[in-house]
Amino acid sequence: MLKIEHLTKTYGEKKAVDDLSLHIAPGEIYGFIGHNGAGKTTTLRSIIGIQQFDQGEIRIAGRSIKTDPIECKKIMAYIPDNPDLYEFMSGIKYLNFVADIYGVSPAARQERIRRYADRFELTQDLAQPIASYSHGMKQKLAIIAAWIHQPRLLLMDEPFVGLDPKAAHLLKEMMRELCDEGGAIFFSTHVLEVAEKLCDKVAIIKQGQLIRSGTMDEVKGDDSLEEVFLELEEE
Amino acid sequence: MLGILVKKQLAEVFRTYFYNEKKKKARSKIGIIGWFLFFVVIMVGVLGGMFTMLSYVMAGPMIEAGVGWLYLALMGLLAVLLGVFGSVFNTYGSLYMAKDNDQLLAMPIPNRYIITARLMNVYLMGLLYSAVVVVPAVIVYWIEAGISLPVVVGGLVLILVVSLMDLVLSCVLGWVVARISVKLKHRSYITVIISLAFIGGYYFFYFKAADLLKELIENALVYGEKIKGAAYGMYLFGCIGEGDWVAMAIFTVIMAAAALICGIVLSRTFLSMATTADAGVKTKYREKLARQSTVSGALLRKEFGRFTASASYMLNCGLGALMTLLMAGFMLIKADMVREMFVIIPQEYQSILPVVFSTVIALCASMSDVCAPSVSLEGKNIWIPQSLPVTAWQVLCAKMKVQLILTLPTVLLAGISAAVLMKGSPLSTALFFLVSILFTVLMTLVDMSAGIRFANLTWTNEITPVKQGLAVFIALFGGWILAAVYGGVLILIDWKIGIISADLYMLAAAAVMLLAILALGRWLKTRGTQLFEEL
Repeated sequence: MLKIEHLTKTYGEKKAVDDLSLHIAPGEIYGFIGHNGAGKTTTLRSIIGIQQFDQGEIRIAGRSIKTDPIECKKIMAYIPDNPDLYEFMSGIKYLNFVADIYGVSPAARQERIRRYADRFELTQDLAQPIASYSHGMKQKLAIIAAWIHQPRLLLMDEPFVGLDPKAAHLLKEMMRELCDEGGAIFFSTHVLEVAEKLCDKVAIIKQGQLIRSGTMDEVKGDDSLEEVFLELEEE
Repeated sequence: MLGILVKKQLAEVFRTYFYNEKKKKARSKIGIIGWFLFFVVIMVGVLGGMFTMLSYVMAGPMIEAGVGWLYLALMGLLAVLLGVFGSVFNTYGSLYMAKDNDQLLAMPIPNRYIITARLMNVYLMGLLYSAVVVVPAVIVYWIEAGISLPVVVGGLVLILVVSLMDLVLSCVLGWVVARISVKLKHRSYITVIISLAFIGGYYFFYFKAADLLKELIENALVYGEKIKGAAYGMYLFGCIGEGDWVAMAIFTVIMAAAALICGIVLSRTFLSMATTADAGVKTKYREKLARQSTVSGALLRKEFGRFTASASYMLNCGLGALMTLLMAGFMLIKADMVREMFVIIPQEYQSILPVVFSTVIALCASMSDVCAPSVSLEGKNIWIPQSLPVTAWQVLCAKMKVQLILTLPTVLLAGISAAVLMKGSPLSTALFFLVSILFTVLMTLVDMSAGIRFANLTWTNEITPVKQGLAVFIALFGGWILAAVYGGVLILIDWKIGIISADLYMLAAAAVMLLAILALGRWLKTRGTQLFEEL
């Protein structure tokens, strides 16, 4: 589903991402962990096509994000670390806007909005302007918008920040459902317990370089993910 | 602490002058000086020049009639009006709606410091607009009446008093808008209506100004005595510039006290105003089947939504469309009056009327610059259009369509009104329409190019891109300059070489505009989209 080959991105003198290669197969929830400024967000932004990169190649379902960005974006969705949404729109207008862009039929979007908004208990607030939403409500809306076209590859940057425990649990359920249906998820997180329980595979990035990746068992062995991560950070 | 806040406020206003957003680095000293010089030349050259002319017309006769104070009072009041007009739209936004409210309120900063720093911004905007009137007025007075120490000090005090009046009036207006806003749902429309009423009043007096001015100059002494008797305050206000120490002291003390009271009241009410949540009735969500829209339709609706959600955006960037519409109506209703104006044009120059009218329409239409700040207004939401499966060109087209949809119909209506008045040949009329349409399209592309080239996504108050952004500045003054060049070149040719066919001139202008449209369109589609993707 996602193939990253030798991805390199430099900001001035600093290499934010250095020769990173990673493959994600359909059905996988892939966790991406690393310290602040390690290059997680840069990688995710490069995949979704909102960050130009210097070297390497990113392919989504066989298509290059560089040469065929629109077709790639049609099957992806992205949730940034901070849900900055159009505050002048109401929640429902924003969802309809995103659905229109992805060409989701009225019946399908109605069913999905009803399903996800009810699950996140956001239905009653959909007519309200986004400007009046709390951080958590914006995050929920961003999640519903990301799910509205049933993406095959979902990219999320710290998706659990701002969510209440119930919503966080629901998001984990939705992530598993999406992958059970053949989708793939690549997300960054600092909550290592969540990554350990939820992810099929995990990648650890340090100063732009991928230092370990693989199945959860391959990466952590008999230790906890936290112990492995801290150990690698100290090396 | 106050110094830091003021510095932050000024850094935001003048960010484009100091920082190159594209290269992500500070501009060189020469670059900074160049940008400031450009700004000064435009402000002093265009607006300042206009009011210098007006000052020369009024100052001589009035000083001669012994009512120099009346001249200074009138110019002072005009400056106050322009200053308030210039800052009335942004006072509410910059005082109460800044995006860094929560951040600043959470810090150990006294409210009075926050409000004082923001008042500095309002004060500077008011000063900027009022100075283009009052500074030339004072200098012309010095030239006409002669210089002495009291007169020089008086002139400077007048400039100060005018700027303080602007500040106080803008604050009162901003406070009223804030008070109303916490109780209203459709605040952007209400603000627009109130502001338009204000603008309407302004232009009503502006159009009557020529008659009033003539009457005033001819009977300066009589009016001077009447005003002195009925409005002694206005007399004293004018006396400031004449070097009257008592008037200077009275007005300085009154205005300083008023500004102080404003500051105290605002800082005491700031917290509740800035943190009061919308009191509008909660809209209940009712599920209904949405109508599917095309990608371009969805993007266009989004752009219109952004435009209509902000009173500042509508007023600052959509006013040109309204002005053009009003002009269309004016030409129809006051057709006889406009025809009378044709008489003053010599017979041999009557053929250039289509060029004159298309220049006037172009001047008006170029005040509509909706797409100039539209990229900057994406702000932190820029990730949305960038991550969605739409091309940068589709996004830019939606932004340009809003401007065209708002401006082109009004230009056509104004064109029809003008065509009815001119009764030109079919060829001349067709060329007149062609030039007007091409100019509107060209300006849309110019505005979009400026919007992309000088995009600033890191603002904390939308007034920054809408009113103070370099893109808007270039769009507005660039439009006026292009319109003036279009009309001016024909006058220059007729004067220097001899009268040429207006039809031929319009055809040539249309060809040049078409070439410019193609070139700019190509730039936007290639480099412009690339710049958008790299934001």
